[in-house]
Amino acid sequence: MKRVLASHLDRGLSWLIRGRDRRASHVLLAPATVWLAVFLVLPLAWLIALSFIRSGPYGSFIWSFNLQNYARALDAKYLPVVLRTLAYAGAATGLCLLLGFPLAYFISFYAGRWKDRLLILLMIPFWTSSLVAIYCWMIILGQEGLLNSLLMTLRLIDEPLNLLNTPFAVILGLAYFYLPFMVLPLYGSLEKIPRNYLEASYDLGAGAFRTFFKVTLPLSLPGVVAGCILTFVPCLGDFLTASFLGGPDSYLLGNLIENQFLMGQDWPFGAALTALLLVCMAGGMALYRRLEAQESWQR
Amino acid sequence: MTRRYSRRDFIGLALSAAAFPWLACKRSAERVVNFFNWSLYISPKTLPRFTERTGIKVNYEEIADDEEMFAKLRAGVGGYDVVVASDYMIPRMRELGLIDPYPAGALKNLRHIDPKFRATPYDPDNSYTVPYMWGTTGIGYNRGKVKSPPQSWWALWDESYRGKISMLDNARDNIATALLLKGYPETTTDPKAFADISEMLSRQRPLVKQYSSGTYIDNLITGEISLAMSWSGDVLQAARENPQLDYVIPKEGSYLWVDNLLLVRGGPNREEALQLIDFLLEPEVNAEITSFVRYASPNASARKLLDPGLLSDPRVFPPASVMKRLRIHALLPPETTQLWNQTWSDIKLG
Repeated sequence: MKRVLASHLDRGLSWLIRGRDRRASHVLLAPATVWLAVFLVLPLAWLIALSFIRSGPYGSFIWSFNLQNYARALDAKYLPVVLRTLAYAGAATGLCLLLGFPLAYFISFYAGRWKDRLLILLMIPFWTSSLVAIYCWMIILGQEGLLNSLLMTLRLIDEPLNLLNTPFAVILGLAYFYLPFMVLPLYGSLEKIPRNYLEASYDLGAGAFRTFFKVTLPLSLPGVVAGCILTFVPCLGDFLTASFLGGPDSYLLGNLIENQFLMGQDWPFGAALTALLLVCMAGGMALYRRLEAQESWQR
Repeated sequence: MTRRYSRRDFIGLALSAAAFPWLACKRSAERVVNFFNWSLYISPKTLPRFTERTGIKVNYEEIADDEEMFAKLRAGVGGYDVVVASDYMIPRMRELGLIDPYPAGALKNLRHIDPKFRATPYDPDNSYTVPYMWGTTGIGYNRGKVKSPPQSWWALWDESYRGKISMLDNARDNIATALLLKGYPETTTDPKAFADISEMLSRQRPLVKQYSSGTYIDNLITGEISLAMSWSGDVLQAARENPQLDYVIPKEGSYLWVDNLLLVRGGPNREEALQLIDFLLEPEVNAEITSFVRYASPNASARKLLDPGLLSDPRVFPPASVMKRLRIHALLPPETTQLWNQTWSDIKLG
């Protein structure tokens, strides 16, 4: 009896996993599809719908179609926030690249059997709660924090540095959170470089320096681009880092949106801002897809 | 109205938030009540005592500010029985049908409430509110880091404290205080008045290290900031950790606010909710909460049980001379509220 059941189960599973049957793939896709439909598509549709209505007294909804939220969102007074957000995301992406490239290079070329373990270590901070991580950064960066105490003990500074609630703290925090998004694509493209290309370069008389700039770097460019887009895009929407580690000068688009939903009680306007941000993000991702497609075409 | 995440309780907060949905639907036979309160706004002994006495389990969730609570209730996040909200929120919550009136005679301990806190402008017929605690908005400061103890609100505009100042992150306290300082009535909608206070608050912005209603307390404790627009009890609780901290109600006057226990409409455990609220009104229980949170109690019988030191502390229970300078927030029509929010949002744009 048990054996019959097992064989049925076995046949069922292999139908699902190995079968070319269309119905099998539908069954496999169903949970994810339902999940995405209920928790992503529906809320998103609701958000888009909200962006076209008006908010009434105390943030209630007035269901009449209009574009005034978008007109408001494009007001010039929001331009500084948009530019600031682009600058912060850009700086965080630059910092990630600066930190991430050597790291990915090391893991790919020198880590040997430690590769997998190092990649897991890279992911661990990403699995911790972002709130916990932010509070840790507050403890590190404070006037009487770990970093200042260390620098004072080493007599490198006489007065504690003002680090917390500065643009520096926000960019550092963003870079910390999104570093894996940079390192993983970089690592992937570095791994793909055939090692005999490098040997060929050396054989033809190029030094390590020249080999890196003429062979390794150009071949890793797809990873650089992918990493930059994957880091830049989520940085655009971040608000938690800026609100805890930043000061008044670090008021970003994410904070402006959060403000509309909570303090401002103007959901339709917040929805319009979000929709615009999503369009920009989707644009970034489309660019990424296109570059990726080009790359695979070239090969 | 106290709202802080401190380092030591945010982990607990995160955990309780994660456990909340699970706890709320656990074992339907067990009697529960879901209580949504500001953080550090109750004594750690209170709820265990309630559960011990009644067998009712309290699912306790903490919230950062009025607006967050309002947004959650409005979005239809269900399952709450009792919430705490400030005076000025009451009319709009009532208008939007988020809260229910108290059944007549349901609370036998209501008689302990000081009549001064009944028949208020925000609840003239006493049907929707039970006052929980009250407090003031003023300046919290670090005695070791200021030239002299601040007496005036303008200390928060003092150039020499550049980068050492924190302001609460909400329209309510900032706009109301700015209007008060400039001598405008709180209900004004005069564009000139708003241009005036916008200029004044924008001028302050470069001096401000952070706009915060939560982490500012941690930063006061660690000395990261020297002066902060604060809520009274927050600072006085923090003074337990850093004795250098002090609180003052500036000479220009300020606002006092009353936080209320409210029955959420559609709350699943009405009977238990009323039992909890009645418990919180018991003089002895209320006195214990008051001495822990260091906000002022509107409970006349509880005040008699308080430590005389606390009762005579002018920072908790301001004397009559200071009370004259305190006012409660006006109830603003929705358009004016919108104007306030918009003004505050624009100031933060920089």
